[in-house]
Amino acid sequence: MGGDSAIEESEGVNVNINVRCSNGFKFSVQIAVDSTVSSFKDVVARNCDIPAEQQRLIYKGRILKDDQTLRSYGLEADHTVHLVRGSAPANPTGGTNTSSTNTNTTTNNARGAGANEGGGLGGLGFGASLFPGLGVNGTGGNGLFGEGFPDLEQMQQPFISNPNLVREIMNSPTMQNLMNNPEIVRNLIMNNPQMQELMDRNPELAHILNDPSTLRQTLEATRNPEIMREMMRNTDRAMSNIESSPEGFNMLRRMYENIQEPFLNATTMAGNTGNNNAAVSGTHGGHARDRSTNPSTTSSEATAGSPLPNTNPLPNPWSSTGTGGAQNNPRRSLTTGVDARQQGPTGLGGLGLPDLESMMGGSAMPDAALLTQLMQNPAISQMMQSMLSNPQTLNQILGANTEQRGMPDLNSLREVMQNPEFLRLFSSPETLQQLLSFQQALMSQLGQQQSTRESGQTGGGTGPMNNLGLEMLSSMFGGLGAGSLAVPNRSNEPPEQLYASQLSQLQEMGFFDTQENIRALIATSGNVHAAVERLLGNSGQ
Amino acid sequence: MTLGSSGSSVVVPRNFRLLEELEKGEKGIGDGTVSYGMDDGDDIYMRSWTGTIIGPYNTVHEGRIYQLKLFCDKDYPEKPPSVRFHSRINMTCVNHETGVVESKKFGLLANWQRRFTMEDILTQLKKEMAASHNRKLVQPPEGTHY
Repeated sequence: MGGDSAIEESEGVNVNINVRCSNGFKFSVQIAVDSTVSSFKDVVARNCDIPAEQQRLIYKGRILKDDQTLRSYGLEADHTVHLVRGSAPANPTGGTNTSSTNTNTTTNNARGAGANEGGGLGGLGFGASLFPGLGVNGTGGNGLFGEGFPDLEQMQQPFISNPNLVREIMNSPTMQNLMNNPEIVRNLIMNNPQMQELMDRNPELAHILNDPSTLRQTLEATRNPEIMREMMRNTDRAMSNIESSPEGFNMLRRMYENIQEPFLNATTMAGNTGNNNAAVSGTHGGHARDRSTNPSTTSSEATAGSPLPNTNPLPNPWSSTGTGGAQNNPRRSLTTGVDARQQGPTGLGGLGLPDLESMMGGSAMPDAALLTQLMQNPAISQMMQSMLSNPQTLNQILGANTEQRGMPDLNSLREVMQNPEFLRLFSSPETLQQLLSFQQALMSQLGQQQSTRESGQTGGGTGPMNNLGLEMLSSMFGGLGAGSLAVPNRSNEPPEQLYASQLSQLQEMGFFDTQENIRALIATSGNVHAAVERLLGNSGQ
Repeated sequence: MTLGSSGSSVVVPRNFRLLEELEKGEKGIGDGTVSYGMDDGDDIYMRSWTGTIIGPYNTVHEGRIYQLKLFCDKDYPEKPPSVRFHSRINMTCVNHETGVVESKKFGLLANWQRRFTMEDILTQLKKEMAASHNRKLVQPPEGTHY
């Protein structure tokens, strides 16, 4: 609404524009009104700590677009522009963006997949997902099963970035078995002291959680987004009906305060005292990080009372190299020095769980301390006990992808797995600890042998090495008082039949000496990859 | 907005009142976390306005910018303007289908007084975002509109 004379006067001349940050900090810049918004952002960037690409400028209620001029928005001398820090632009290389300057700390669920937008108080019942800690909205939450989960923030990262992962896991035989046995889920939930306290205060909630059909329905909704959407629609409709009735709104509010808030706090904040921003429905508040723990914070930024936020990126938890400032990576890779081609089976022993190793921090095996911590969680040990003692689950686990895993003799393995003594040993943290240390020793031995071997010889560990491993294994189990584990002898089937599929694979690869192939397969228990390694090693001698 | 002395009062006409608000919006006087201005500089009735609210700290709205449309009819400021969110938001006083701020559920509009301004509306909406019953509600994805 300014007069034309004022505009003509300021043409080509720098005028004074006030810039006001969202934290109250105010400064002025000189710029011509014919300049573009992007050049104005560059000028502003010199006066504050927000880079131009992260600036969002607001004038008279409008967000200024980079390609427009200041004049097109009617900006004049001494007018004020509001400055807000926006999201960092998407990383064009597709790598992990380590910048922590994005002020929008909420995880915004997509409209169709978990954001409850209906109802006055939003997010009650299934709308916020009955079990946010289970990752029902595609974002694995922490704390439903109490403390004892190491590095859960890191473990949940794959779920956030890939919602289909949850669906894949839910479709795996193990989870299907879990869904058919709501008792396990109930036990897991009841192991959380905060949940127990909540149920003591609200008996009606205990009834809901003790109802197997409710639990099954919730788990089913996790797997099937259509059911989830239908549940949310029903919840929203029910809530709007309640709200429209007299005293309905107050009833919803009471329900929110007495049940939902404590329930969500129990499921999203258990064992997570650093979380100041109580989060809802799998939306995690930022963990309060001490300045001193951020290695990239400089002394000048650590000054108290500075109104400007720290813009240094936090260290990237995923990178093994120090990309985000100095990093102390606590995990040691246990497979250093091992031939890169010798890869363990993907997933969790054929359970159909995709890339679990990435959840455990990227190394081929988790740190012993982490695994021990995980195993000492009563909920996990209880789940393992119930799963291992259920023959159906075992059959499903053993039956999945056996050919690819190189486990032709299924019956012997099944007998071992159903031996109660073995199950008792396998589910004790001490055994796992010893197994891990054994594997570590074995890997380091392999690494040493690999490094001393001649360049022409590329085969895996042979004779003496294997004997060493067997001796260590038998001494370990002997020391634990396992006695002799009843492992039946190999079946009497001739190797030509036993390894028929593997032999055909080897022939397709160009290994035509059948006898040599059989010898290699017998030595490697039918593992094609190891047999190829062995054959190549022999040919090199 | 009445002027006068010894009992007599002068009612500030609508246009003067809106020009005053326009100047405040341009100069950024008042709360720095809300901004507003006219949509069309050629509209002599000054009816359509755009406002923005910067999401308050320590809430799910933090770092978000919400755009609103305010419509001051010819009986403004006797009657409150109609307020509608352009950016999608999940709030108890906002209609989930249309984004309209419902007068009955929003105290400032329900108990409107002549002295209230558009800045007051935006500031009060921001306070409402930070209220306990709104600050944690799951929000639609940023950048979606009604």
